Amino acid sequence: MRWSPLARSEYRTVLTSKGAWILALLVVLWGFRPTYAGWDAVGRNITIGYIQIGVDLFLPIGALLLSYQSLIGERTTGSIKFLLGLPLTRTQVLFGKTTGRFVGVGTAIVAATLVLAGIGLLEHGTFGLLPFLGTLVATLLLASAMVAVGVFVSTVTRRTVTAATGVFAYFFVTLFWSRIVTSLYTAVTGIPVNPYDAPASGPLFLALRLTPDGAYNVLTNWFLDVGNSTELFHIVYTKLAPGVSVNAFVVEAAFDGGGPWYLHPALSLVVLLVWVVVPVALARRVFNRGDAL
Amino acid sequence: MSSSEPAIEANAVTKEYDDVHAVDNLDLTVERGETYGFLGPNGAGKSTTIGLLLDYLRPTSGTVRVLGRDPRRDIVEVHDRVGVLPDRFGLYEGRSARQHVAFVAETKRDDDDPAVLLERVGLGDAVDDDAGDFSRGMEQRLALAMALVGDPELLVLDEPFSGLDPHGVRRVREIVHEENQRGATVFFSSHVLGQVELVCDRIGVLHEGQLVAEGTLDELRNRTASPDDATMEDVFVELTDARIDDEGERR
Repeated sequence: MRWSPLARSEYRTVLTSKGAWILALLVVLWGFRPTYAGWDAVGRNITIGYIQIGVDLFLPIGALLLSYQSLIGERTTGSIKFLLGLPLTRTQVLFGKTTGRFVGVGTAIVAATLVLAGIGLLEHGTFGLLPFLGTLVATLLLASAMVAVGVFVSTVTRRTVTAATGVFAYFFVTLFWSRIVTSLYTAVTGIPVNPYDAPASGPLFLALRLTPDGAYNVLTNWFLDVGNSTELFHIVYTKLAPGVSVNAFVVEAAFDGGGPWYLHPALSLVVLLVWVVVPVALARRVFNRGDAL
Repeated sequence: MSSSEPAIEANAVTKEYDDVHAVDNLDLTVERGETYGFLGPNGAGKSTTIGLLLDYLRPTSGTVRVLGRDPRRDIVEVHDRVGVLPDRFGLYEGRSARQHVAFVAETKRDDDDPAVLLERVGLGDAVDDDAGDFSRGMEQRLALAMALVGDPELLVLDEPFSGLDPHGVRRVREIVHEENQRGATVFFSSHVLGQVELVCDRIGVLHEGQLVAEGTLDELRNRTASPDDATMEDVFVELTDARIDDEGERR
């Protein structure tokens, strides 16, 4: 493809940056936390849980930071004038950028995943291959969603400061997502939300799982078979254990039976795909319109 | 056949920013095989015009054709056949000169040897050096090497002499001449008058977004008070000053 040299160049930019390897290191260091709750929840599959823990916290912000400069950076230095002079359509420029950054971030995160898997293998022995592969796919999907958001931010802003503000705005909104959703829910319906005993509301639970990291946790919890929730796997397990009270939103704890159909964990795959497709489509629209400088 | 069409053709092109006309109803034709000097003071709209030719920017009104094609719709084909040396560009830090040229060559699917092109612009001994450490003049040479990839039919050079020492200036002039001999059309902008008169077949003078004069150096000289010994500088100052006076009176 015409844009593969550009994608290769972006890939190299990511992998020669310190950021990519700091991200991988943080995922490993933060992810590896053997706990009794974790062991009780999934046994040897706790190794896969380590991946969930590390990725959930660090991949979204890491991937954003590794991609939000992709276009705005070239605008700032002026190298965009070479980029736009190449025989590529603006759409191809975006695809090359997004693909290259994704492959770079993906390589670093797969490396981190394999290190965690290796540590787990030595510490606890073999783990389930299918849940591991499922988690790996979900991790790559989360990475591509975050790169898509990062490139989108880079495309629609004209200044690095604005782009960086956008990245942190995204980060804080998703960090406090459950608080935002529950406050809105209470404001609209008048029903207070007690996370220790959440109301059996389908829309409330659906809203909670619409962020990329929320969808990622739902998917990986499904692969680990601990329950249907956006929380980390050992918290879900603890919530569902008899006689324990935890402030976590878990579908099985709130609903009798599985809850409404749209809370099925498989649909979180769709949520992640939407987070890949929509930012890319919007970025393409903006970038194709008007002046590119 | 598109090859009989002009290399550059702009019809009634206007580019507005807010209420400012950066380019104002510009008609411009550059024939194949010409070396055309696009002359004007800073802020005259030269780089904006070049941006419009390359689809970096989109005109508010009017049409642009490059090598007989629409630079927006046929951007891949147009850019494949055009070499660009932009104005006020930045290089990729941490990448060597060779990597810069190879990146363009790979995208253009051309098998030019980056080392040969770099030798040609006088960077033969800096092929594998980090372009982030280059001086202004070396950056300019590297950008020219990137523009030369694939023997383009049209070279668009925006202020190619800026930041160059006299050796560099001479080298660029020689390269422009060689490329033109090969059959390429060369379109370059400059506010360095002496260079334009040494290199160009035809000159267009841009002032406040409008083409105020066009022709060979002799034709432009004849429009001034003392045509015989007028330098390019006299012509330039007179043409652009006249406009400023006109406007002063109008106000």
